[in-house]
Parts: sequence; structure tokens; C-alpha cells
Amino acid sequence: MAQRILTLIAYLLRRLLLSLAGVIYIVLALAFWRLSFDPRQSTPEPAYYVLVIGLFGAAAAFLITLSVASRANQAVNYPILARLPSRVEHLVAVLITSLLFTLGLQVIVALLATFDGPALTLGRILELPPLWLAADLLAIALALHASDLVTSGWSRVYVYGFLAIILFGRQLDAAVIQWVSDRFYTLAGWLYREGYMAPGNALNGLAEWLASSGGQLIGTIFDAVFWPFRAISTAVVSGSFTPAQALAPAIVVLYSTILFVLAADFFATKDVYLTE
Amino acid sequence: MITIDNVTKRYFSLIAVDRVSFTVPRGQVLGVLGPNGAGKTTLFKLIAGFLNPDSGEIRPTHGYWPGIGYKPERLLFPNQMRVDEYLAMIARLSNISSNAIEQTVGDALAQVKLLDSSSKHIGQCSKGMRQRLALAQSLIGAPSVLLIDEPSNGLDPEGQADVQRMIQRIGAGGQTVLMSSHQLGEVTQTCSHLIILKQGRIHYRGSMAEALALRPHVTIQVDQELQPAEAMLTSLHPDIHIDGRQITLSNEAIRLRRYVLSLLVGMGFDIVGVAQKRTTLEEIYAEAVQWHNGS
Repeated sequence: MAQRILTLIAYLLRRLLLSLAGVIYIVLALAFWRLSFDPRQSTPEPAYYVLVIGLFGAAAAFLITLSVASRANQAVNYPILARLPSRVEHLVAVLITSLLFTLGLQVIVALLATFDGPALTLGRILELPPLWLAADLLAIALALHASDLVTSGWSRVYVYGFLAIILFGRQLDAAVIQWVSDRFYTLAGWLYREGYMAPGNALNGLAEWLASSGGQLIGTIFDAVFWPFRAISTAVVSGSFTPAQALAPAIVVLYSTILFVLAADFFATKDVYLTE
Repeated sequence: MITIDNVTKRYFSLIAVDRVSFTVPRGQVLGVLGPNGAGKTTLFKLIAGFLNPDSGEIRPTHGYWPGIGYKPERLLFPNQMRVDEYLAMIARLSNISSNAIEQTVGDALAQVKLLDSSSKHIGQCSKGMRQRLALAQSLIGAPSVLLIDEPSNGLDPEGQADVQRMIQRIGAGGQTVLMSSHQLGEVTQTCSHLIILKQGRIHYRGSMAEALALRPHVTIQVDQELQPAEAMLTSLHPDIHIDGRQITLSNEAIRLRRYVLSLLVGMGFDIVGVAQKRTTLEEIYAEAVQWHNGS
């Protein structure tokens, strides 16, 4: 399996590097460095260095994954797919290729930015790989779901719709919760009038719970999903990680793993129509 | 080797493959014939595992899934790679050890007579060379099942004959081959068994020897439309078919020809002609593709 995946990585990397898109990404990375870390400007803060290159990596990872997945989704690959015992090997190769190319660009930008750049201590340097890798992996896993290679039926809508709900849920305020609770009270009243006592009671209970403590609890749960991102940015800005904050990159990797497993399941079970 | 059991595949309202069942044993060279849109490529993609059947099942006959070499109809390659690099990549994907890759690639190139072009970039290859390359990649690693979609498109007559000989050799060596083609001659020359698909369904299935055995039938022409007598005549035997002013008696129904003639005369029809004919494979295929060559 390792030989097959390595072969596919070499093939996909070569196809990306020899394409116009590959060259454009390299040029864009250099342009990004020139704009964000202009040597003529004052020396940037270490936190700025870590966060800006980390965000650059995530954005690049997303776009590069779309490009690699698009090449992996071409009809030239039918004979290749026929040789693989599992299609997931193809997807793993896409993930690793995207990660390698992204890390290559990120390392180039990071090295260039050290000229007249921030004074990085050994501790700061050791922080970089887990932080940047976690962000890159999450962006790659999200991009896979946006690609035609992985998308199966409405899967793209479900995945991004779910993310939208989580983002929306995080911003639930008291007025919105009160409005939802009032609608539930109204619906419960209608159910009582129609003689549906049991569902009416259930809905009335739900409305009361939302109006008292439930809404806050839902907001807290949604908010907890975003804790790793807040923890990382807080720790980077403060310059040190607490033991709890040090777990945050691992949780981001866990999110990426869940998204990748989902993508692998979609890709392994879908009808494959490669583009010509 | 592979059993296809009542497989159906739909594309929205279009049924591309409709309740198809057959088994391909080891070493069989099965020709899949049919007009455009008959479901050949969809069937191959189902067997290769690119598509999932809507119903039915494709399973290995002996419990383990065989290695598959797939030669698609469209000759699409990574054009920036060299011919030998591409084949070496396919060899690595087929779990061939590093020290055997060169030999494997050389053998595959020799089989398709492409050794002289091994260092060419694929983008510089002619259509015929790309066709040979597509065949070469499907042969790498001697997969136990070969799915070959339109093997001789773009090849000159000599190239077509080479491909036919090569596929015969592969079958004789114990590999199972499923080959799709529009060309009747190519299939009859190469295959031991035959399936003709029509609108996603199996229109004809049998060994090539059976298909080439000219099957007799009797046709009776009369002077007027046979519709009033159709129900009575077809009730005599299932192998009696009526088409306008013609009755066709095939297989066991041929023995009833005298009785049918007397019935027709008794019902007031004039017999215009009686002919003993033999159905050819060309006629079976013509029926599937719905053209008539008048032979």
C-alpha cells in the first residue's frame, strides 16, 4: 500500500508542479511574502509571523487541494484507479500531495520572512509545526468536501450546511432564542387546541427550557466547537501555551480526521465519473 | 472468475444496463458487442468498480476479487510523461517489485510492439501508438481480468491483426478477457464467447461456435397481411413469428411448416414464397443495432 501511495504522490506532485497552476501558486507565495513581510518595514512581532504564515498556509492548502483533487478527478486516472485495491489510497495521495506542496510554500515564505524578521526563540520555532500542520490539514479536509472528486450527490451541501449551522449557532443571542421559544409556545397552544396533548406538552416543555437555561446551553455547546481556534490565537498572541491550550492543535487535527474519514467514505462508495 | 447477477444501472430515467446476468470463467475471452448506447462501457465500468449497480451484484466467483487491468475507450494519458515512465508507474501500482519493473515494462512494450517509442513523451505519440500504450498498461502485472474497451480503434489493419493475436494469446494463457467492440469481424476472430447488448439488455449470449453455427429457419411469404391469423398461428409454437406478410418458423417450429402451409391455404391466403434460410451472426447483430443490410 505504501508503495502505491508514494507512487501516486509522486505522480500528482509532478502533474501539479508541471502545470500553470503550480507555477502560479509559487509566484503567489512569493508575492504574499513580499506584501506581508516587506524587509523595508519594521521587524514583525513573532505572533504576527506565526499567525499570518499559518493563515497563509490554510488558504493555500484549500486552493492547492482543489487543484490536486481536480487533477486526480481526470479521466486519465481510470487505469490507475482500476489498479488500486481501495479508492481511498487515491484520496490519501491527494491529501498528502496537497499537504507537501503547501508545506513547501509555507516553508519558503517562513524562511524568507526570517530575513530582518522576528527574533524566534527555540520554543517559538517548536510551536510552529503542530500549529501550521493542524490548520493546513483542516483546510485540506474542508477543500476535499468542496471538490468534485469527493462530492457525492448533495454531500457538499450537507457538509457546508452543517458548518453554517454551527457558525450560526455560535452567534445565537437572547433575542433569537426568545423568538424561537415564543414560536414553540404558539405551536404547543395549537397542538393543545387540536387535542394533541402529548406533543403539545413536549413542545411546551422545550419552549420553557429554551426560555430559561436551554438557549444559553446550546450557545455554549456551539461555542465549544470553536474553542481550539480561540485557544490557539490567544496562546500565540500571549507567547506561551497553557497545558489546556496545548491540546487545541490536536483537537483541530481531530476535526480534520473526522472530515477526512467522511470524505473517504463518500469517495469509496460513490459512482466515479472522472472528467475528460 | 466473475459473476454478474441481475445487474441494473440507471442514469436518472435512462436504464443503461438492465437486469444483466452472466458468468465469465477463467481463461474465457468474452466479446461484448452492441451499438452506441447499448451499455457496453457502463457494464465495463461496473465490473471495474467505478460504478455501483442500482440493483444486482457483481462478485468474484471464487471469493476473492481478481486484479483488473482496464483499457478505457478514450485514449487519455498524462501527456507530459514518457511512455516507459507511465508504464513503470502502473507497474509500481500493481505491486511489482522495483527490480522487476524494467523487465515488466519491456515485456509489455514488446507485446504491443512499442519498444522503439519507449522514451517518447506520450504527448508526441500518434493515435495508434496511444492505443497500443493503453493496451500495454492494461497488460502490466498480468491481471487475472482484462477489461478492454474498443481495442483497435485508430489502428491500421496490421495493428488490428496484432491486437487480435495478442488477445488470443492472453486468453490461452489463462487470463480472462472482456472485450467490447463495434466490429463484428474483430470479435469473431478473437473471442471464444459473445454477448450482444441492446438497450442495456442481453440480446444474444452464447459461445462463438454456437453463434457462428448457421441456425436454420423457414420463411413463408403470403399475399396479404397476416394479422387476422396471427393469434392462431403464434399459438401453435413459441418459435413462430409473424411480421406483416411473412411468417418465420425457427428451431423446433420448422417441423410444423407443412401444417402451417395447409392452414394458410385453408384460410384463403395465397403462398407467394417459401424459403429455407440460415440466420447469421451478422443478422443477430443487425437486429440489435436495428439496421438491415438486406442479406
